[in-house]
Amino acid sequence: MTETQLKNVAGAAEAGVPATPLIEVRDLKVWFPIRRGVVARTVGYVRAVDGVSLKIFRGETVGLVGESGCGKTTLGRSILRLEKAAAGTVCLEGRDLLALSERQLRPLRRRMQMVFQDPFSCLNPRMTAMTIVTEGLRQHNLLEGDRAEVAANLLSEVGLDSDALYRYPHEFSGGQRQRLSIARALSLHPDFIVCDEPVSALDVSVQAQVINLLLDLRARHGLSYLFISHDLSVVRLISHRVAVMYLGQIVETGPAADVIGAPLHPYTQALVSAIPVPGRKKKKRILLEGDLPSPVHPPPGCRFHTRCHRAMDICSRREPKLYAQRGRRVQCHLYESKLEAVED
Amino acid sequence: MDEAGTQRINVSGTPAGAVGLRDLAARLRRRPTAMAALCVILLYGAAAFGTWGYTLLCRWTDRESIAERARMEDRYLPPSTRHWLGTDYRGRDVLWRSIFATRTAFQVGILAGAVSIAVGVSLGALGGYFGGAVDAAVVWVYSTFAAMPSLLFILSFSLVLGRGTTAVYLGIGLTSWVGLCRVIRAEFIRLRSAPYVEAARAQGIGHGRIILRHILPNALHLVIVFFTIRFAAAIMTEVIVSFLGLGVQLEPSWGVMIAEAKERLWQGVWWELAGATTAMFGLVLAVNILGDALRDVLDPRLRGV
Repeated sequence: MTETQLKNVAGAAEAGVPATPLIEVRDLKVWFPIRRGVVARTVGYVRAVDGVSLKIFRGETVGLVGESGCGKTTLGRSILRLEKAAAGTVCLEGRDLLALSERQLRPLRRRMQMVFQDPFSCLNPRMTAMTIVTEGLRQHNLLEGDRAEVAANLLSEVGLDSDALYRYPHEFSGGQRQRLSIARALSLHPDFIVCDEPVSALDVSVQAQVINLLLDLRARHGLSYLFISHDLSVVRLISHRVAVMYLGQIVETGPAADVIGAPLHPYTQALVSAIPVPGRKKKKRILLEGDLPSPVHPPPGCRFHTRCHRAMDICSRREPKLYAQRGRRVQCHLYESKLEAVED
Repeated sequence: MDEAGTQRINVSGTPAGAVGLRDLAARLRRRPTAMAALCVILLYGAAAFGTWGYTLLCRWTDRESIAERARMEDRYLPPSTRHWLGTDYRGRDVLWRSIFATRTAFQVGILAGAVSIAVGVSLGALGGYFGGAVDAAVVWVYSTFAAMPSLLFILSFSLVLGRGTTAVYLGIGLTSWVGLCRVIRAEFIRLRSAPYVEAARAQGIGHGRIILRHILPNALHLVIVFFTIRFAAAIMTEVIVSFLGLGVQLEPSWGVMIAEAKERLWQGVWWELAGATTAMFGLVLAVNILGDALRDVLDPRLRGV
């Protein structure tokens, strides 16, 4: 996708042109029950995702960042309905996926795929590369022509040799496995791919290769990604827009360059200040104190107030509204007087 | 690592389709006792199939099989050069009968093993994969079966179906699947949330295919090991049931031989008992040793990986 196209997408979204988002998540809640005792009584819920709204347009890459345990992966998985949502909607081009039965959903699964974090456990050890990349096609009756040829084409698209066809996952390196996993996702010609920390298990040198591959494929097939990562420098490289997640909620969204260049939310500021910059000797870091609070009993008011370096009285009492500014949204009391409150 | 992998494939030039089996064979070859046990089992297997063919041939040409050749004047002959293990109460050669009984043992072992694998794997897979009400039903069924004394079950089975081999195979198979069912269920519970199974779900692969193509191949080592254990156990159960007079009737069987041998054991006729038990002991021991070795080789948790 070129820069102009990218601007068009962003512009369309900003100008309020009634383009249906490819994926629209509305007030999604994923709560895991905590059961205890002999009768497995539900004593509480882990609120992994707690009221998230997010739009992803065709051809757009949204980076989802946040520290471990904030619910990034759960959000990605529940969009693909690998996790059961407690409330909210997830729409694919306006069609609510959460209302469908597993059988009705199956043909639509083709359009949304996933690349997993761990390239070692996400490939079946008993299947050859050829089976792995052509299985979905066979399931959806899309396999045309020679299976080996189709598989070889897919492998070459992700930069693997065709002599890899008959090899098993354990015969590949980590980077190669991740390529195989991408080829599998790509095989069904999806519109949308959830990339769940696709490079965090890889060496830095291999990370760059895989990122470049994802960029190439996006340009070639007009794919949309939800790119989940805790590494802001990787996210900046690949995303058009960024959503910052904290304790099951999205606290800030906006164009990647803006959010990372001039973060509004104190949490984003802390994350950005932690990006290592080569060459710079000493820099002021905002250190977050303490651990992520428990998602079973999230703090009242603003969830971030327990660790925020700019916390005020009001933060622990009232949940902040969402404030908007030129394609950006931030959920923080600091902007009460400066920005306009919006309903999302 | 990349280069090494590519080279290995190019040099061998064959698709690595048999990696699992080739790997298994290589690891077994490093265990001399297991290899010896395998040879013994193959020998027994050859005896079983050879005598089966011979028996069929005899029936076809209407000749008397050497295992059935009875001479009343030769009753209870002690071991000699003519009859290496003596003769039984009808003057039949004990050595030949011991060898011919191998076929019954193999038949029982393989068929009872197959029945119990079919039941155990399908119920365990369904319960473990789907969970919920299906799982509760499966657990209820296997708990019920586990609570029944298996010998009584087999005896009542053969009373209902009539004496004979079918009842014994079915009975032994239907009482011995619970262990496998438990293990397979546990493995399916573990693997149903494995990332590669999730990946298959995300691709829209159907339940049947996920169970059969994605999970089962990864639980197959359990089935192989279970089969070797049940094979030996089924042979012993058959011997017990035949000894009680409810199993195989007309064909040579170690259990029947032992039952008959007890009649004159007090008069010092030891050779029939010795022949049957030694033959059974050899096969059961060999299968057990191979089963142990297979478990060590196939179960990654025991390999310390």
